[in-house]
Amino acid sequence: MDGAEGERAPALVGDRRFFRLSENALFDTIKNGIPGTAMPALGLPDDDIWRIVVFIRAMRASASDVDVPGDAEHGAAVFSGKGECLKCHMLLGKGGIIGPDLSNIGAQMTLQHLRESLTQARPIPIGYRPVKVVTRSGETVEGIAKNEDGFSIQILDFHDKLHLYDKSELRQIVHGTTSLMPHNYDQALSPGEYQDLVAMLAHQVTVKVHVKEQGEGEVGR
Amino acid sequence: MKRLALIFLLGFASSLCAQITDKQLEQSPDSDWLHYNGGYSSQRHSGLDQIKLSNVGSLVSKWVYHVPGGGGLQCVPIVVDSVMYITQPNEIYALDSRSGRLIWQYHHILAKAPDREGPNRGVAVFEDKVYFTTTDSFVIALNAASGNVLWQSKIAEASEGYHSSAAPLVAKGKVLVGVIYGDRGLNGFLVAFDARTGERLWQFDSIPKPGEPGSESWAGDSWKHAGGATWLTGSYDPELNLLYWAIGNPSPDFNGDVRQGDNLYTDSMVALDLNTGKMKWHFQFTPHDVMDWDGAEIPVLVDAPFDGKMRKLLVQADRNGFYYVLDRETGQFLHGSKLARQVNWATGLTEQGRPILVPGIEPSLKGTKVCPSSTGATNWMSPTYNPQTGLFYFVALEGCGLATKNTEQFRPGGFQYRGGGDVLLKDDTWKVYVRALELTTGKQVWEQERVGSGSLGGGLLSAAGGVIFSGELNGEFVALNARTGQPVWHFNTGQPINSQPMTYMVDGKQYVGLTASSDVFGFTLFEPEKAAAK
Repeated sequence: MDGAEGERAPALVGDRRFFRLSENALFDTIKNGIPGTAMPALGLPDDDIWRIVVFIRAMRASASDVDVPGDAEHGAAVFSGKGECLKCHMLLGKGGIIGPDLSNIGAQMTLQHLRESLTQARPIPIGYRPVKVVTRSGETVEGIAKNEDGFSIQILDFHDKLHLYDKSELRQIVHGTTSLMPHNYDQALSPGEYQDLVAMLAHQVTVKVHVKEQGEGEVGR
Repeated sequence: MKRLALIFLLGFASSLCAQITDKQLEQSPDSDWLHYNGGYSSQRHSGLDQIKLSNVGSLVSKWVYHVPGGGGLQCVPIVVDSVMYITQPNEIYALDSRSGRLIWQYHHILAKAPDREGPNRGVAVFEDKVYFTTTDSFVIALNAASGNVLWQSKIAEASEGYHSSAAPLVAKGKVLVGVIYGDRGLNGFLVAFDARTGERLWQFDSIPKPGEPGSESWAGDSWKHAGGATWLTGSYDPELNLLYWAIGNPSPDFNGDVRQGDNLYTDSMVALDLNTGKMKWHFQFTPHDVMDWDGAEIPVLVDAPFDGKMRKLLVQADRNGFYYVLDRETGQFLHGSKLARQVNWATGLTEQGRPILVPGIEPSLKGTKVCPSSTGATNWMSPTYNPQTGLFYFVALEGCGLATKNTEQFRPGGFQYRGGGDVLLKDDTWKVYVRALELTTGKQVWEQERVGSGSLGGGLLSAAGGVIFSGELNGEFVALNARTGQPVWHFNTGQPINSQPMTYMVDGKQYVGLTASSDVFGFTLFEPEKAAAK
């Protein structure tokens, strides 16, 4: 019951294109189905359909919209202390830059995504893939690839310095296959510390990301 | 924890990122291009001479970066240690300046203000930070290597209609930012923020409050909705520690009846102490302006002989149709002369530089032909000065307007408050030129028409190779011989150019950077492509 895709239908939660975003669009789809697909008209009373709509919206909500148990204040201490998160991540202008800025993370991720980021190996976000290159002059540079095409690569090294290469200047390029983000926080931290860290991140909001207007981005029907 | 430890062993030493120092910011543009107008003097003259008259014909576009959703871009690219920073409203991009590939981008999320209401004219840089302003009137400092926000500070109340669009200027640890819109009856000001912390340090108000010097130049309560925007980037003299900022037009733009008086410090150049924001001197180009001729054009600082004596000069080609030479230590008026053929509102300037008015040439209820038009004989597109030729180059518009006035009232909330307008008389005489003037006499040495351009277009760049680069509204990017004005190269960008070119050098190769309407271009001299690396 996490909104992921099933055998016969796409995910209700995530980054899928052409989501039905508004309550009205969801209601319409559940009530009338999607012609030509396996999505039937459910024939439920309207009140029940609205309950389903609310449930789907809740699954899609960002972490900051969800009641997350835990001591966020203590979580902040874990974040900057034992968790050593500031070494890679920036929070409100302080911290490292090799990982994504987390100042607004509570508004950007669902709670589930947040937990998975801390506990499971996940796909490496664009712009954060580890890379090691050796130049033709023999210099080795390690960091993350901010961008890359067939002819050039832009690397941020572990000393916060950018290196911009034409690939003809490089002898070797080795791409990392796993994210630099540790995913053992549920083990490296105590259960209480982990829960508090999650609570702190879920509450970490500077500004709500673009709230789509009713109907904006809707699939045409 | 083993994995955690391994990762943290990889480094995370203190930042070794490119650190821009005060000393670097004080230098004339060379490999890097660190200011909107190249350097504190705003001369826009680069010492790079790899691209020169003898080879400019082989200049080619090396790369193009399409700004997502971009349109009407007006930013000047800034290049630091081979990283290029460009902006569109509320968005900033770091590019690899050799390839045009994106390194990072940052989008400022707005609470209410329109996202793409522009323009935005670019960034400033200092230490490991890059600064830009937003349409909801914030100045934001970002880490130059990653785009992470380090601090953001409010400049003005966006709900009142204030925006900020000019590229900031950084001097001695202070970030200077101005505001728009003077055309909405919003009083302008210039603010200094601490570049490291974002703390607000001082504010200079364009419009003096009752009791302050200059307040007598505003009748009644007219000072309350008076304009005087600070909508372009100023210049700075580190030796005198003075900022030179040009102040915009009074409100309502076209109806002066409700604001009798000279209306200080609109349409003026003000010299401000960097440490305190206190005004040392001012010079008003157009007292009691009724044609939207805000004096916001770029102040260009040049040390040159005047009447046989070395002087610290400030020169400005003004929207009102006159070229001015001032002493920038004192504000003394030294010279003024017409920079356009079609100037009918004043016959000349007095010994103090005040215009000698022609009676009746002002907006009226039924309409009056006024030259130049409200677009101006020139405008915000940057001029350039080449110390090798001793010539000052600017973009000129010959044209008049049929100007009317009305009794529009001020409305709070950022509505237009112009009190009239003018119909641009686009007859056969309506033409755009690049002109070269002798620095201290204002005497025209050459002009080159921007054929097919209906309005001014982009500004100018001078480089030591003897070439002036010029972006036209019709899309042509042109190189002119700095001594003769003859075109020596051109490239059709296929889109209107409303920005000023710049130049930089990476790995021994000189580039010319240009923002056109929706794309950024990097030009270099042609050389056969190396073997593909793919």
